[in-house]
Amino acid sequence: MAQVLTVPTSPPPVSTRPVPPRGRRRRAWETLTAYAFVAPSLFGVVTFLLLPVLIVAGLSLFDWKLLAAPEFVGLANYERLFADGGIGHSLLVTVAYVVLTIPVQTVLALLLALLLNQRVRGVKIFRAMFVLPWMATPVVMGLVWGWIFDPANGAVNSFLDVFGIDGPSWLSSPSLALPAVAATQVWQFAGYNMLFFLAGLQSIPKDFYEAASLDGASPVRQFFAITLPLLRPTLFFVLVTNVIGSFQVFDTVFVMTNGGPGNSTEVINYTIYQTAFRQFEFGYASAIAMVLFLIILAVTMAQVRYFNRTTTYDLT
Amino acid sequence: MTTTTRRRRPSRRAALYATLIIGAAMSVFPYWLIVSTALKPRGELFEAAPWAPPAAPTLENLGALLGSDFAQSILNTFIFVTVLTVGQLIFTTLAAYAFARLDFRGRNALFWLYLATLMVPNVVTLIPLFLIMRELDLVNSWYGLVAPYVFGTPYGIFLMRQFFRSIPREIEEAARVDGAGHLTILWRIILPLSRPILATLAIVTVISSWNNFLWPLIITSSADTRVITVAIAALRSEIGIDYTRMMAGSLLTLLPMLLVFVFFQRYIVRSVALTGLK
Repeated sequence: MAQVLTVPTSPPPVSTRPVPPRGRRRRAWETLTAYAFVAPSLFGVVTFLLLPVLIVAGLSLFDWKLLAAPEFVGLANYERLFADGGIGHSLLVTVAYVVLTIPVQTVLALLLALLLNQRVRGVKIFRAMFVLPWMATPVVMGLVWGWIFDPANGAVNSFLDVFGIDGPSWLSSPSLALPAVAATQVWQFAGYNMLFFLAGLQSIPKDFYEAASLDGASPVRQFFAITLPLLRPTLFFVLVTNVIGSFQVFDTVFVMTNGGPGNSTEVINYTIYQTAFRQFEFGYASAIAMVLFLIILAVTMAQVRYFNRTTTYDLT
Repeated sequence: MTTTTRRRRPSRRAALYATLIIGAAMSVFPYWLIVSTALKPRGELFEAAPWAPPAAPTLENLGALLGSDFAQSILNTFIFVTVLTVGQLIFTTLAAYAFARLDFRGRNALFWLYLATLMVPNVVTLIPLFLIMRELDLVNSWYGLVAPYVFGTPYGIFLMRQFFRSIPREIEEAARVDGAGHLTILWRIILPLSRPILATLAIVTVISSWNNFLWPLIITSSADTRVITVAIAALRSEIGIDYTRMMAGSLLTLLPMLLVFVFFQRYIVRSVALTGLK
């Protein structure tokens, strides 16, 4: 394969190649074959992706407690949602989680990539070790990090104890629980994102740096004048996918804190789960899911606009 | 930055390696914690620092789990992952071939539809999916568990289509002149050329299905359909906080994926760069 990294900044143009002239029967046969080939996946996409989107939008206009018959309530769920302090709180916790994770893990990933992009012995071993956390099942990592942050003989406090520091009870502290959950994600995804930056860095022509060195530009200057602008497509891809992922965090929260202590780590995805599958308020939960959907869409669009506005360099 | 390497002082090299080694150690540390704790007898846990190796290693924790329902959930996950991966490979390949190579009415519109669904977050489809399965009486069944994923994902189709399009058409011309049908062309010509991308798709599907938690959590409720992620999350409420047992369960959950990693490391690193799938 020629190119290693394909950063999809926009969907590729659908082919408009003219159709070669052929017999009508052959064409009909080809169409038939095509639909036979596409049929299973089309059934899947329609039944399990498109239909659900329509259902969730429709359901958000109903009051449905599962046991009773659904009752059309118009926008009442949305009105209730905006007045519901709990939802506002969950959204704030989610935003805080995104803010705690994305900058740290992105900067860390970029730093690791810059380090590994130099002449280093054992690059492959380091790279493999950095990627290793990404493989880990999030639920399992929730358990393991739950123990790492345990005040009784957990690794973090045992480590602090070596220096005579009395560590806090991380996961039962309303102010420290969310950062602890966020640390788990940073651990899991920094090395993974490093791979993208590494591929991006390796696609930057070396002569750019040589020319800059001849002009007397310092390494720091070179980073901001050459590296960062040329990494923009990679940065875009990494940010968009990770922000979407962070907005939907669930597994680690479920295992590490159950949303607590109190509701200090209750992210919006957890609230949706609770509302639907614990309180069986499917209509209301659908409305919350719709709001999350719109927020994710808006944030993604904002990122697309920001990155499109500033110049991008296509090196492929 | 690479051009300055020659002029760099030894102390800076040392700092570079120190940073890399600390980073690598931190990446591996939780794995070490899992392995060493899983092998500790329960009483040993609080005797030394948590990262200390087991003084008297035992297989007791692993054995206890393998003798319980937990073993069933490992088997269930293997089935779950196999079914999804086989389904993904077959249906994705067929659809991607049609989008890449066949001219048919509505192709562009359909393809845009597929692309659009890439934007839909999981959580949005979760509630309706559950309700659809409930309506079809498939809650807590194997069909309900695998149905949403077994027909292939738009993401996989997008990935495969891009790859198929990079294969020159001339390669198939001879076969086509000989009157070979599309299935023959796909099976005999396209697929043998697509081994790397098929490996990528398989690995990515295996990992994401193995780690899948939320959907199995919602749709299954009994031991005969419970997958390992759900089983291990339930462990804490079932046995209380018993870290040696919990780490033994973690080890059993991670071990197959670690083996995949060791054997297919090269593919995985490339897969990540190629796909960007979580």
